[in-house]
Amino acid sequence: MNPFVCPREREVAELLRLGQWPHAVSPELRAHRAACRACSELVLVTQSFQQARAAAAAATPLQSAGALWWRAQLRRRNEAIERINKPILGAQIFAFVVTVAVAAGVLAWQVHRGFHFLAWIESLPVALHLDALLPAARPDFSGGLMLLLPILATLALVSGVVVYLASEKQ
Amino acid sequence: MPLESTIPNVLAGDAPLVAGSPACRDMDSEAFAGFYERSARSLWAYLARVSADPALAEDLMQESYVRFLCAAHPNDGEVAARRYLFRIATNLLRDHWRRPGSSSIQDLPEEYFAAAANSAQADSQAMLGPAMRQLRQRDRQLLWLAYAEGYSHREIAEVTGLASASIRLLLFRARRKAARLLRQEPSNQGRQP
Repeated sequence: MNPFVCPREREVAELLRLGQWPHAVSPELRAHRAACRACSELVLVTQSFQQARAAAAAATPLQSAGALWWRAQLRRRNEAIERINKPILGAQIFAFVVTVAVAAGVLAWQVHRGFHFLAWIESLPVALHLDALLPAARPDFSGGLMLLLPILATLALVSGVVVYLASEKQ
Repeated sequence: MPLESTIPNVLAGDAPLVAGSPACRDMDSEAFAGFYERSARSLWAYLARVSADPALAEDLMQESYVRFLCAAHPNDGEVAARRYLFRIATNLLRDHWRRPGSSSIQDLPEEYFAAAANSAQADSQAMLGPAMRQLRQRDRQLLWLAYAEGYSHREIAEVTGLASASIRLLLFRARRKAARLLRQEPSNQGRQP
């Protein structure tokens, strides 16, 4: 008899699974078990593990199912909040990075041109041909930053919204 | 703001569950309570006997159920849900073993596990315990799933993440080793030929 594979192993396993071993077993199958190494190992190991399972299960300290349900609800809620906040945080970070990059670029450009910052700001409406749109008595933009800051803020806002919408779509 | 006012009491059924998870939709608190009652003991036995640490088994069992409830798993009936639960527990156990400093079964005396048991349970544990101590973690898992829980090779592969084709051979080797160790036990000397 092949000690590794036994054709009756499945039959023995099924009887063990149903709890019919050894009482509902034919004498012939018992004799086979005694002679077959694979089946005797199967019976020994299965019975040992089934007894250990029954003993361990009887000693189980069960927590209430409601407490676990409650914990799962809390965790799901926290995960949902985290999912919602993730795109917003990403948009904020992106907007900040864009703003810093633009500000650094402007600064570098102005350093290169010798800090003619105010002259550039004042020439901007002319460069963009906005003269016709602006009132004749327009306010003085000598402050410079009064125009630059809204531009940067708008850029940051738009880029942040774009990133947020892209994240949400994902 | 008190916690009760910010979190809906889902146990009382007065709030909608989080959308998008079939587990949330299909298993309400009463269904979960029934499932828990039917599955918790066998899950605890699996974790406790394989890890040899009842306190760890308790922690991992709770975490397994919480993750089970949070996961969006397909609702294919209780047998599949039970298998999914064992898979979560197996992964948690594996994560615990991978962590540096985690205690292994070899470090724990069998008396630690048997301390809370009655005499009949202690007999069973004393019989299996020394053999379990000498088996590898993976072998303990495979043997328990196959011979205590009665899972098929395909189901064991699903729970453990091992290749289905290798389960047969791994299980055969583990069973042979377990049988040899069990026969060495004095309590089994007259039990098997």
